[in-house]
Amino acid sequence: MTKRIPLIARDLKQLYTGFLIAAVALFIVCSFLTEFNVMTLIANGDAFWEFITQDFLPPALPKASRIPGVLDSVVVTLALAMSSTTIAAILAFFVSLFGSEKVSPFPRFAKVVRGFATFLRNIPALVWAFILFSSLGIGTGVGFVALCITSFAFMVRAFVETMEDVSQDCVESLQAVGATFPQRVSQAILPSCLSGFLSWYLYCLEVNIRASTIVGMVGGGVGLTLFSYIKSFRYDIALSIILLIAAMVIVVDQITGKLRKELLK
Amino acid sequence: MNIDLTQACPVLRNRTEENDREKGRIPVKCRQRNRFIPVFLIGVAVLSVLSLLYLEIDWLKMASRVGDIGVVFWDLAHLDFSNMDLILSSLVETISIAVLSLLYSLILGIVFGMLAARNVFRIPVLSVVTQSFFTFLRAVPTPVWVLLMLVCLGMGPEAGVAGLCVHTTAFFTKSFAQSFESIPDETIEALEVTGASRLSIFMNAVLPAALSQIVAWAGMRLETNFSECAILGMVGAGGIGYVISNSLQGYDYGAAGVAILLVFLVAYCIERGFVRIKKKFS
Repeated sequence: MTKRIPLIARDLKQLYTGFLIAAVALFIVCSFLTEFNVMTLIANGDAFWEFITQDFLPPALPKASRIPGVLDSVVVTLALAMSSTTIAAILAFFVSLFGSEKVSPFPRFAKVVRGFATFLRNIPALVWAFILFSSLGIGTGVGFVALCITSFAFMVRAFVETMEDVSQDCVESLQAVGATFPQRVSQAILPSCLSGFLSWYLYCLEVNIRASTIVGMVGGGVGLTLFSYIKSFRYDIALSIILLIAAMVIVVDQITGKLRKELLK
Repeated sequence: MNIDLTQACPVLRNRTEENDREKGRIPVKCRQRNRFIPVFLIGVAVLSVLSLLYLEIDWLKMASRVGDIGVVFWDLAHLDFSNMDLILSSLVETISIAVLSLLYSLILGIVFGMLAARNVFRIPVLSVVTQSFFTFLRAVPTPVWVLLMLVCLGMGPEAGVAGLCVHTTAFFTKSFAQSFESIPDETIEALEVTGASRLSIFMNAVLPAALSQIVAWAGMRLETNFSECAILGMVGAGGIGYVISNSLQGYDYGAAGVAILLVFLVAYCIERGFVRIKKKFS
Protein backbone atom coordinates (compact mmCIF):
# COMPACT_ATOMS: atom_id res chain seq x y z
CA MET A 1 0.00 0.00 0.00
CA THR A 2 1.36 3.41 -0.89
CA LYS A 3 1.60 5.87 1.91
CA ARG A 4 0.34 9.31 1.10
CA ILE A 5 1.51 12.52 2.59
CA PRO A 6 -1.51 14.66 3.48
CA LEU A 7 -1.31 17.95 1.62
CA ILE A 8 -3.56 19.96 3.90
CA ALA A 9 -3.83 20.12 7.65
CA ARG A 10 -6.28 17.68 9.14
CA ASP A 11 -8.55 20.21 10.83
CA LEU A 12 -8.82 22.19 7.59
CA LYS A 13 -9.70 19.02 5.75
CA GLN A 14 -12.36 18.36 8.36
CA LEU A 15 -13.74 21.83 7.80
CA TYR A 16 -13.96 21.39 4.04
CA THR A 17 -15.49 17.93 4.27
CA GLY A 18 -18.01 19.15 6.82
CA PHE A 19 -18.84 22.14 4.68
CA LEU A 20 -19.32 20.03 1.57
CA ILE A 21 -21.52 17.46 3.34
CA ALA A 22 -23.58 20.23 4.96
CA ALA A 23 -23.96 22.00 1.61
CA VAL A 24 -25.16 18.88 -0.21
CA ALA A 25 -27.52 17.87 2.61
CA LEU A 26 -28.99 21.37 2.88
CA PHE A 27 -29.35 21.55 -0.87
CA ILE A 28 -31.37 18.34 -1.00
CA VAL A 29 -33.55 19.22 1.98
CA CYS A 30 -34.25 22.76 0.82
CA SER A 31 -34.93 21.78 -2.77
CA PHE A 32 -37.39 19.24 -1.45
CA LEU A 33 -39.07 21.73 0.88
CA THR A 34 -39.51 24.56 -1.59
CA GLU A 35 -39.92 22.32 -4.65
CA PHE A 36 -37.50 24.61 -6.41
CA ASN A 37 -35.95 23.28 -9.56
CA VAL A 38 -33.48 25.07 -11.77
CA MET A 39 -34.85 23.24 -14.77
CA THR A 40 -38.21 25.01 -14.52
CA LEU A 41 -36.33 28.27 -14.42
CA ILE A 42 -34.39 27.38 -17.54
CA ALA A 43 -37.56 26.11 -19.23
CA ASN A 44 -39.11 29.49 -18.48
CA GLY A 45 -36.10 31.17 -20.04
CA ASP A 46 -38.06 32.38 -23.06
CA ALA A 47 -40.61 34.27 -21.01
CA PHE A 48 -37.76 35.71 -19.01
CA TRP A 49 -35.90 36.86 -22.08
CA GLU A 50 -39.05 38.31 -23.57
CA PHE A 51 -39.67 40.29 -20.40
CA ILE A 52 -36.18 41.74 -20.50
CA THR A 53 -36.18 42.67 -24.19
CA GLN A 54 -39.82 43.77 -24.50
CA ASP A 55 -40.77 45.41 -21.22
CA PHE A 56 -37.48 46.31 -19.73
CA LEU A 57 -35.33 47.63 -22.54
CA PRO A 58 -34.72 50.32 -23.60
CA PRO A 59 -34.85 52.45 -20.44
CA ALA A 60 -37.30 55.32 -20.74
CA LEU A 61 -37.32 58.62 -18.93
CA PRO A 62 -40.31 59.50 -16.78
CA LYS A 63 -42.46 62.44 -17.84
CA ALA A 64 -40.56 65.71 -17.79
CA SER A 65 -42.82 67.07 -15.07
CA ARG A 66 -41.94 64.13 -12.83
CA ILE A 67 -38.16 64.38 -13.14
CA PRO A 68 -37.63 66.97 -10.35
CA GLY A 69 -39.71 64.78 -8.03
CA VAL A 70 -37.56 61.75 -8.81
CA LEU A 71 -34.35 63.70 -8.22
CA ASP A 72 -35.80 65.05 -5.00
CA SER A 73 -36.54 61.52 -3.82
CA VAL A 74 -32.90 60.58 -4.47
CA VAL A 75 -31.78 63.48 -2.26
CA VAL A 76 -34.25 62.39 0.43
CA THR A 77 -32.77 58.87 0.34
CA LEU A 78 -29.23 60.22 0.67
CA ALA A 79 -30.20 62.59 3.47
CA LEU A 80 -32.01 59.80 5.31
CA ALA A 81 -28.95 57.56 5.19
CA MET A 82 -26.54 60.33 6.13
CA SER A 83 -28.43 61.74 9.11
CA SER A 84 -29.53 58.41 10.57
CA THR A 85 -26.02 56.95 10.36
CA THR A 86 -24.50 59.97 12.10
CA ILE A 87 -27.03 60.03 14.92
CA ALA A 88 -26.67 56.29 15.35
CA ALA A 89 -22.87 56.58 15.39
CA ILE A 90 -22.91 59.20 18.13
CA LEU A 91 -25.25 57.11 20.27
CA ALA A 92 -23.33 53.93 19.51
CA PHE A 93 -20.05 55.49 20.58
CA PHE A 94 -21.32 56.26 24.06
CA VAL A 95 -23.11 52.96 24.46
CA SER A 96 -20.18 50.90 23.17
CA LEU A 97 -18.00 52.32 25.95
CA PHE A 98 -20.21 50.39 28.33
CA GLY A 99 -20.25 47.31 26.14
CA SER A 100 -16.61 46.37 26.51
CA GLU A 101 -15.61 44.64 29.72
CA LYS A 102 -12.15 46.16 29.74
CA VAL A 103 -13.25 49.75 29.30
CA SER A 104 -16.62 50.00 30.95
CA PRO A 105 -16.80 51.26 34.54
CA PHE A 106 -19.45 48.60 35.17
CA PRO A 107 -18.00 45.44 33.61
CA ARG A 108 -20.91 43.36 34.81
CA PHE A 109 -23.36 45.17 32.58
CA ALA A 110 -21.23 44.83 29.45
CA LYS A 111 -22.92 41.56 28.52
CA VAL A 112 -26.36 43.13 28.96
CA VAL A 113 -25.47 46.01 26.65
CA ARG A 114 -24.10 43.67 24.02
CA GLY A 115 -27.10 41.37 24.27
CA PHE A 116 -29.46 44.30 23.78
CA ALA A 117 -27.52 45.39 20.70
CA THR A 118 -27.64 41.84 19.34
CA PHE A 119 -31.40 41.81 19.74
CA LEU A 120 -31.82 45.11 17.90
CA ARG A 121 -29.43 44.10 15.16
CA ASN A 122 -30.89 40.75 14.28
CA ILE A 123 -34.26 42.17 13.34
CA PRO A 124 -34.12 43.66 9.83
CA ALA A 125 -34.64 47.41 9.33
CA LEU A 126 -37.82 46.94 7.34
CA VAL A 127 -39.39 44.94 10.18
CA TRP A 128 -38.55 47.80 12.54
CA ALA A 129 -40.11 50.20 10.09
CA PHE A 130 -43.31 48.15 10.05
CA ILE A 131 -43.43 47.93 13.85
CA LEU A 132 -42.83 51.66 14.20
CA PHE A 133 -45.21 52.82 11.58
CA SER A 134 -48.10 51.11 13.30
CA SER A 135 -47.36 53.41 16.25
CA LEU A 136 -45.69 56.54 14.82
CA GLY A 137 -47.68 56.82 11.61
CA ILE A 138 -46.34 56.75 8.07
CA GLY A 139 -43.61 59.13 6.95
CA THR A 140 -39.90 59.78 6.65
CA GLY A 141 -39.50 59.90 10.42
CA VAL A 142 -40.29 56.19 10.72
CA GLY A 143 -37.65 55.30 8.15
CA PHE A 144 -35.20 57.50 10.01
CA VAL A 145 -35.81 55.81 13.36
CA ALA A 146 -35.77 52.31 11.85
CA LEU A 147 -32.43 52.93 10.13
CA CYS A 148 -31.10 54.45 13.33
CA ILE A 149 -31.98 51.36 15.34
CA THR A 150 -30.26 48.82 13.10
CA SER A 151 -27.19 50.89 12.36
CA PHE A 152 -26.89 51.80 16.04
CA ALA A 153 -26.88 48.12 17.00
CA PHE A 154 -24.44 47.24 14.24
CA MET A 155 -22.02 49.97 15.22
CA VAL A 156 -22.17 49.07 18.92
CA ARG A 157 -20.89 45.63 17.99
CA ALA A 158 -18.29 46.95 15.57
CA PHE A 159 -17.03 49.61 18.01
CA VAL A 160 -16.76 47.13 20.87
CA GLU A 161 -14.76 44.80 18.64
CA THR A 162 -12.49 47.65 17.55
CA MET A 163 -11.85 48.58 21.16
CA GLU A 164 -11.04 45.00 22.13
CA ASP A 165 -8.71 44.57 19.15
CA VAL A 166 -6.61 47.56 20.10
CA SER A 167 -4.04 46.79 22.76
CA GLN A 168 -5.40 47.33 26.25
CA ASP A 169 -2.05 48.35 27.76
CA CYS A 170 -2.88 52.00 27.42
CA VAL A 171 -6.20 51.70 29.24
CA GLU A 172 -4.69 49.54 31.95
CA SER A 173 -1.76 51.84 32.61
CA LEU A 174 -4.05 54.84 32.79
CA GLN A 175 -6.26 52.95 35.19
CA ALA A 176 -3.21 52.09 37.27
CA VAL A 177 -2.30 55.74 37.73
CA GLY A 178 -5.84 56.51 38.75
CA ALA A 179 -7.28 58.14 35.67
CA THR A 180 -11.04 58.57 35.75
CA PHE A 181 -13.35 57.00 33.21
CA PRO A 182 -13.71 60.11 30.99
CA GLN A 183 -9.94 60.59 31.07
CA ARG A 184 -9.36 57.00 30.06
CA VAL A 185 -11.78 57.38 27.16
CA SER A 186 -10.38 60.63 25.87
CA GLN A 187 -6.69 59.79 26.31
CA ALA A 188 -6.53 56.10 25.52
CA ILE A 189 -9.57 54.96 23.57
CA LEU A 190 -10.18 57.91 21.30
CA PRO A 191 -6.66 58.39 19.90
CA SER A 192 -6.16 54.73 19.14
CA CYS A 193 -9.63 53.78 17.92
CA LEU A 194 -10.98 56.88 16.21
CA SER A 195 -9.85 55.99 12.70
CA GLY A 196 -11.25 52.48 13.18
CA PHE A 197 -14.57 53.91 14.34
CA LEU A 198 -14.75 56.26 11.38
CA SER A 199 -13.97 53.46 8.98
CA TRP A 200 -16.89 51.47 10.42
CA TYR A 201 -19.03 54.57 10.18
CA LEU A 202 -18.29 54.80 6.46
CA TYR A 203 -19.10 51.13 6.00
CA CYS A 204 -22.38 51.63 7.79
CA LEU A 205 -23.13 54.61 5.57
CA GLU A 206 -22.67 52.43 2.49
CA VAL A 207 -25.04 49.82 3.91
CA ASN A 208 -27.57 52.46 4.88
CA ILE A 209 -27.69 53.99 1.42
CA ARG A 210 -29.00 50.65 0.17
CA ALA A 211 -31.21 50.11 3.21
CA SER A 212 -32.77 53.56 2.99
CA THR A 213 -33.81 52.79 -0.59
CA ILE A 214 -35.69 49.79 0.77
CA VAL A 215 -37.06 51.42 3.91
CA GLY A 216 -38.15 54.23 1.60
CA MET A 217 -40.76 51.83 0.27
CA VAL A 218 -42.83 52.56 3.37
CA GLY A 219 -41.66 56.13 3.83
CA GLY A 220 -40.51 58.55 1.18
CA GLY A 221 -37.46 58.33 -0.99
CA VAL A 222 -36.48 56.76 -4.26
CA GLY A 223 -37.69 53.31 -3.15
CA LEU A 224 -41.27 54.53 -3.09
CA THR A 225 -40.90 56.06 -6.57
CA LEU A 226 -39.51 52.81 -7.95
CA PHE A 227 -42.20 50.78 -6.24
CA SER A 228 -44.97 52.89 -7.73
CA TYR A 229 -43.57 52.57 -11.26
CA ILE A 230 -43.25 48.79 -10.94
CA LYS A 231 -46.79 48.55 -9.62
CA SER A 232 -48.11 50.57 -12.53
CA PHE A 233 -46.27 48.26 -14.98
CA ARG A 234 -43.96 50.97 -16.34
CA TYR A 235 -40.91 48.71 -16.34
CA ASP A 236 -38.94 50.82 -18.80
CA ILE A 237 -39.16 53.83 -16.48
CA ALA A 238 -38.43 51.55 -13.53
CA LEU A 239 -35.23 50.49 -15.29
CA SER A 240 -34.00 54.05 -15.56
CA ILE A 241 -34.71 54.54 -11.85
CA ILE A 242 -32.83 51.33 -11.09
CA LEU A 243 -29.92 52.72 -13.10
CA LEU A 244 -30.19 55.93 -11.09
CA ILE A 245 -30.09 53.99 -7.81
CA ALA A 246 -27.09 52.00 -9.05
CA ALA A 247 -25.29 55.20 -10.03
CA MET A 248 -26.05 56.72 -6.64
CA VAL A 249 -24.74 53.70 -4.75
CA ILE A 250 -21.61 53.39 -6.89
CA VAL A 251 -20.76 57.09 -6.51
CA VAL A 252 -21.21 56.91 -2.73
CA ASP A 253 -19.07 53.75 -2.57
CA GLN A 254 -16.31 55.48 -4.52
CA ILE A 255 -16.39 58.51 -2.24
CA THR A 256 -16.36 56.47 0.96
CA GLY A 257 -13.56 54.33 -0.44
CA LYS A 258 -11.44 57.43 -1.05
CA LEU A 259 -12.26 58.82 2.39
CA ARG A 260 -11.40 55.54 4.08
CA LYS A 261 -7.98 55.46 2.44
CA GLU A 262 -7.38 59.00 3.62
CA LEU A 263 -8.51 58.19 7.17
CA LEU A 264 -6.46 55.06 7.64
CA LYS A 265 -3.29 56.66 6.34
CA MET B 1 1.00 65.04 4.05
CA ASN B 2 0.55 65.48 7.77
CA ILE B 3 3.46 67.66 8.63
CA ASP B 4 3.24 68.61 12.21
CA LEU B 5 4.60 72.07 12.71
CA THR B 6 6.49 71.09 15.85
CA GLN B 7 8.01 68.16 14.04
CA ALA B 8 9.06 70.10 10.99
CA CYS B 9 10.93 72.61 13.04
CA PRO B 10 12.89 71.24 15.98
CA VAL B 11 13.39 74.63 17.64
CA LEU B 12 9.67 75.06 18.03
CA ARG B 13 9.31 71.57 19.44
CA ASN B 14 12.02 72.14 22.01
CA ARG B 15 10.36 75.30 23.02
CA THR B 16 6.99 73.72 23.65
CA GLU B 17 8.61 70.84 25.50
CA GLU B 18 10.59 73.24 27.61
CA ASN B 19 7.46 75.14 28.27
CA ASP B 20 5.80 71.99 29.49
CA ARG B 21 8.79 71.00 31.58
CA GLU B 22 8.86 74.36 33.28
CA LYS B 23 5.35 73.80 34.45
CA GLY B 24 6.42 70.39 35.67
CA ARG B 25 4.53 68.49 33.01
CA ILE B 26 5.56 65.69 30.72
CA PRO B 27 4.35 66.37 27.17
CA VAL B 28 1.76 63.73 26.42
CA LYS B 29 0.33 65.04 23.22
CA CYS B 30 0.55 62.56 20.38
CA ARG B 31 2.44 64.14 17.48
CA GLN B 32 1.56 61.73 14.74
CA ARG B 33 -2.05 62.72 14.26
CA ASN B 34 -3.98 62.41 11.07
CA ARG B 35 -4.81 65.96 10.11
CA PHE B 36 -7.63 64.74 7.93
CA ILE B 37 -9.79 63.44 10.80
CA PRO B 38 -10.98 66.81 12.20
CA VAL B 39 -11.83 68.01 8.68
CA PHE B 40 -13.75 64.82 8.09
CA LEU B 41 -15.63 65.11 11.38
CA ILE B 42 -16.67 68.67 10.69
CA GLY B 43 -17.77 67.76 7.17
CA VAL B 44 -19.87 64.87 8.45
CA ALA B 45 -21.47 67.03 11.13
CA VAL B 46 -22.41 69.76 8.65
CA LEU B 47 -23.79 67.30 6.11
CA SER B 48 -25.82 65.48 8.75
CA VAL B 49 -27.39 68.67 10.09
CA LEU B 50 -28.24 69.74 6.54
CA SER B 51 -29.80 66.35 5.82
CA LEU B 52 -31.83 66.47 8.99
CA LEU B 53 -33.15 69.89 8.05
CA TYR B 54 -33.88 68.71 4.51
CA LEU B 55 -35.91 65.75 5.71
CA GLU B 56 -38.34 68.05 7.57
CA ILE B 57 -39.36 65.35 10.03
CA ASP B 58 -42.25 66.37 12.22
CA TRP B 59 -40.47 65.74 15.51
CA LEU B 60 -43.24 67.08 17.71
CA LYS B 61 -45.80 64.79 16.20
CA MET B 62 -43.44 61.85 16.54
CA ALA B 63 -42.61 62.72 20.12
CA SER B 64 -46.28 62.92 21.02
CA ARG B 65 -46.71 59.37 19.78
CA VAL B 66 -43.69 57.84 21.49
CA GLY B 67 -45.99 56.39 24.13
CA ASP B 68 -47.69 54.34 21.43
CA ILE B 69 -44.44 52.47 20.78
CA GLY B 70 -44.67 51.05 24.26
CA VAL B 71 -48.25 49.99 23.62
CA VAL B 72 -47.26 48.25 20.38
CA PHE B 73 -44.41 46.41 22.09
CA TRP B 74 -46.72 45.43 24.89
CA ASP B 75 -49.13 44.01 22.30
CA LEU B 76 -46.28 42.25 20.52
CA ALA B 77 -45.19 40.66 23.77
CA HIS B 78 -48.57 38.94 24.12
CA LEU B 79 -47.42 36.03 22.03
CA ASP B 80 -50.20 34.26 20.21
CA PHE B 81 -49.31 30.69 19.28
CA SER B 82 -52.59 29.82 17.57
CA ASN B 83 -51.18 30.23 14.07
CA MET B 84 -48.02 28.35 14.86
CA ASP B 85 -48.16 25.89 11.95
CA LEU B 86 -48.49 28.67 9.37
CA ILE B 87 -45.68 30.67 10.96
CA LEU B 88 -43.38 27.66 11.21
CA SER B 89 -43.96 26.56 7.63
CA SER B 90 -43.27 30.05 6.31
CA LEU B 91 -40.16 30.25 8.47
CA VAL B 92 -38.91 26.98 6.99
CA GLU B 93 -39.67 28.34 3.53
CA THR B 94 -37.68 31.48 4.26
CA ILE B 95 -34.69 29.53 5.55
CA SER B 96 -34.80 27.21 2.54
CA ILE B 97 -34.88 30.12 0.12
CA ALA B 98 -31.92 31.71 1.88
CA VAL B 99 -29.89 28.49 1.82
CA LEU B 100 -30.76 27.56 -1.75
CA SER B 101 -29.91 30.99 -3.11
CA LEU B 102 -26.64 30.86 -1.19
CA LEU B 103 -25.68 27.48 -2.66
CA TYR B 104 -26.59 28.35 -6.23
CA SER B 105 -24.73 31.65 -5.99
CA LEU B 106 -21.73 29.87 -4.51
CA ILE B 107 -21.35 27.88 -7.72
CA LEU B 108 -22.14 30.86 -9.96
CA GLY B 109 -19.83 33.06 -7.89
CA ILE B 110 -16.89 30.69 -8.36
CA VAL B 111 -17.47 30.59 -12.13
CA PHE B 112 -17.86 34.34 -12.52
CA GLY B 113 -15.14 35.03 -9.98
CA MET B 114 -12.84 32.96 -12.17
CA LEU B 115 -13.75 35.16 -15.13
CA ALA B 116 -13.39 38.35 -13.13
CA ALA B 117 -10.02 37.58 -11.52
CA ARG B 118 -7.19 39.11 -13.46
CA ASN B 119 -4.72 36.31 -12.91
CA VAL B 120 -6.74 33.32 -14.08
CA PHE B 121 -7.35 33.84 -17.77
CA ARG B 122 -5.19 36.92 -18.22
CA ILE B 123 -7.66 38.59 -20.58
CA PRO B 124 -7.97 42.10 -19.11
CA VAL B 125 -11.07 43.00 -21.16
CA LEU B 126 -12.96 39.98 -19.85
CA SER B 127 -12.27 40.75 -16.20
CA VAL B 128 -13.05 44.44 -16.56
CA VAL B 129 -16.36 43.73 -18.30
CA THR B 130 -17.37 41.07 -15.75
CA GLN B 131 -16.41 43.21 -12.80
CA SER B 132 -18.25 46.31 -13.96
CA PHE B 133 -21.36 44.33 -14.82
CA PHE B 134 -21.44 42.79 -11.35
CA THR B 135 -20.71 46.14 -9.74
CA PHE B 136 -23.93 47.34 -11.30
CA LEU B 137 -25.86 44.28 -10.08
CA ARG B 138 -24.44 44.70 -6.60
CA ALA B 139 -25.34 48.36 -6.41
CA VAL B 140 -29.06 47.69 -6.74
CA PRO B 141 -30.63 46.43 -3.49
CA THR B 142 -31.93 42.85 -3.37
CA PRO B 143 -35.67 43.56 -2.92
CA VAL B 144 -35.66 45.41 -6.23
CA TRP B 145 -34.41 42.30 -8.02
CA VAL B 146 -36.94 40.15 -6.22
CA LEU B 147 -39.74 42.51 -7.25
CA LEU B 148 -38.67 42.24 -10.88
CA MET B 149 -38.36 38.44 -10.60
CA LEU B 150 -41.85 38.33 -9.12
CA VAL B 151 -43.09 40.09 -12.22
CA CYS B 152 -41.56 37.66 -14.68
CA LEU B 153 -41.65 34.38 -12.73
CA GLY B 154 -44.84 34.84 -10.76
CA MET B 155 -45.36 34.25 -7.05
CA GLY B 156 -43.50 31.48 -5.33
CA PRO B 157 -40.09 30.48 -4.03
CA GLU B 158 -38.58 30.63 -7.55
CA ALA B 159 -38.78 34.41 -7.61
CA GLY B 160 -37.22 34.63 -4.16
CA VAL B 161 -34.36 32.30 -4.98
CA ALA B 162 -33.66 33.92 -8.35
CA GLY B 163 -33.86 37.46 -7.00
CA LEU B 164 -31.60 36.73 -4.04
CA CYS B 165 -29.19 34.91 -6.35
CA VAL B 166 -28.63 38.04 -8.42
CA HIS B 167 -27.28 40.05 -5.54
CA THR B 168 -25.50 37.18 -3.78
CA THR B 169 -23.76 36.11 -6.98
CA ALA B 170 -22.61 39.65 -7.57
CA PHE B 171 -21.27 39.83 -4.02
CA PHE B 172 -19.48 36.48 -4.30
CA THR B 173 -18.00 37.36 -7.68
CA LYS B 174 -16.30 40.38 -6.25
CA SER B 175 -15.05 38.75 -3.07
CA PHE B 176 -13.96 35.49 -4.74
CA ALA B 177 -12.14 37.41 -7.48
CA GLN B 178 -10.29 39.25 -4.72
CA SER B 179 -9.38 35.97 -3.04
CA PHE B 180 -8.21 34.48 -6.35
CA GLU B 181 -6.11 37.51 -7.08
CA SER B 182 -4.39 37.35 -3.71
CA ILE B 183 -2.70 34.10 -4.72
CA PRO B 184 1.02 34.64 -5.37
CA ASP B 185 1.99 34.88 -9.02
CA GLU B 186 4.84 32.44 -8.48
CA THR B 187 2.43 29.57 -7.94
CA ILE B 188 0.66 30.27 -11.19
CA GLU B 189 3.88 30.82 -13.10
CA ALA B 190 5.31 27.55 -11.84
CA LEU B 191 2.30 25.69 -13.15
CA GLU B 192 2.36 27.64 -16.41
CA VAL B 193 5.90 26.46 -17.06
CA THR B 194 4.83 22.85 -16.75
CA GLY B 195 2.36 23.49 -19.55
CA ALA B 196 -0.81 23.13 -17.52
CA SER B 197 -3.88 24.63 -19.15
CA ARG B 198 -5.56 27.72 -17.69
CA LEU B 199 -8.48 25.74 -16.38
CA SER B 200 -6.37 23.11 -14.68
CA ILE B 201 -4.23 25.83 -13.07
CA PHE B 202 -7.44 27.28 -11.68
CA MET B 203 -8.77 23.94 -10.48
CA ASN B 204 -5.52 22.72 -8.94
CA ALA B 205 -3.84 25.82 -7.59
CA VAL B 206 -6.10 28.84 -7.37
CA LEU B 207 -9.31 27.27 -6.13
CA PRO B 208 -7.79 25.10 -3.36
CA ALA B 209 -5.79 28.03 -2.06
CA ALA B 210 -8.86 30.24 -1.88
CA LEU B 211 -11.12 27.56 -0.41
CA SER B 212 -10.89 28.67 3.21
CA GLN B 213 -11.82 32.22 2.24
CA ILE B 214 -14.72 30.96 0.16
CA VAL B 215 -16.08 29.06 3.16
CA ALA B 216 -15.70 32.17 5.32
CA TRP B 217 -17.50 34.38 2.79
CA ALA B 218 -20.31 31.85 2.48
CA GLY B 219 -20.85 31.77 6.23
CA MET B 220 -20.90 35.54 6.40
CA ARG B 221 -23.35 35.79 3.55
CA LEU B 222 -25.78 33.29 5.07
CA GLU B 223 -26.52 35.81 7.82
CA THR B 224 -27.24 38.59 5.33
CA ASN B 225 -29.27 36.33 3.08
CA PHE B 226 -31.53 35.26 5.89
CA SER B 227 -32.36 38.79 6.96
CA GLU B 228 -32.84 39.87 3.33
CA CYS B 229 -35.10 36.90 2.86
CA ALA B 230 -37.16 37.86 5.89
CA ILE B 231 -37.66 41.27 4.28
CA LEU B 232 -38.69 39.86 0.91
CA GLY B 233 -42.08 38.80 2.18
CA MET B 234 -42.83 42.40 2.99
CA VAL B 235 -42.44 43.54 -0.59
CA GLY B 236 -44.77 40.85 -1.85
CA ALA B 237 -42.92 37.53 -1.98
CA GLY B 238 -43.89 34.73 0.40
CA GLY B 239 -42.20 33.57 3.56
CA ILE B 240 -42.08 34.86 7.11
CA GLY B 241 -41.96 38.53 6.07
CA TYR B 242 -45.41 38.19 4.54
CA VAL B 243 -46.75 36.81 7.83
CA ILE B 244 -45.16 39.68 9.77
CA SER B 245 -46.43 42.49 7.54
CA ASN B 246 -49.82 40.88 7.13
CA SER B 247 -50.44 40.39 10.84
CA LEU B 248 -49.08 43.85 11.70
CA GLN B 249 -51.41 45.46 9.21
CA GLY B 250 -54.30 43.34 10.47
CA TYR B 251 -53.56 44.39 14.08
CA ASP B 252 -52.84 40.76 14.94
CA TYR B 253 -49.88 41.72 17.10
CA GLY B 254 -49.61 38.42 18.94
CA ALA B 255 -48.88 36.42 15.80
CA ALA B 256 -46.52 39.11 14.54
CA GLY B 257 -44.68 38.97 17.86
CA VAL B 258 -44.13 35.24 17.53
CA ALA B 259 -42.91 35.61 13.94
CA ILE B 260 -40.49 38.44 14.80
CA LEU B 261 -39.18 36.49 17.76
CA LEU B 262 -38.54 33.47 15.53
CA VAL B 263 -36.73 35.63 12.94
CA PHE B 264 -34.55 36.97 15.73
CA LEU B 265 -33.83 33.51 17.14
CA VAL B 266 -32.82 32.03 13.78
CA ALA B 267 -30.64 35.03 12.92
CA TYR B 268 -29.03 34.81 16.35
CA CYS B 269 -28.36 31.08 16.03
CA ILE B 270 -26.74 31.55 12.61
CA GLU B 271 -24.54 34.32 14.00
CA ARG B 272 -23.50 32.34 17.09
CA GLY B 273 -22.80 29.19 15.10
CA PHE B 274 -20.67 31.10 12.67
CA VAL B 275 -18.69 32.84 15.44
CA ARG B 276 -18.03 29.42 16.97
CA ILE B 277 -16.76 27.90 13.74
CA LYS B 278 -14.57 30.93 13.14
CA LYS B 279 -13.03 30.65 16.61
CA LYS B 280 -12.36 26.96 16.16
CA PHE B 281 -10.53 27.32 12.87
CA SER B 282 -8.72 30.60 13.19
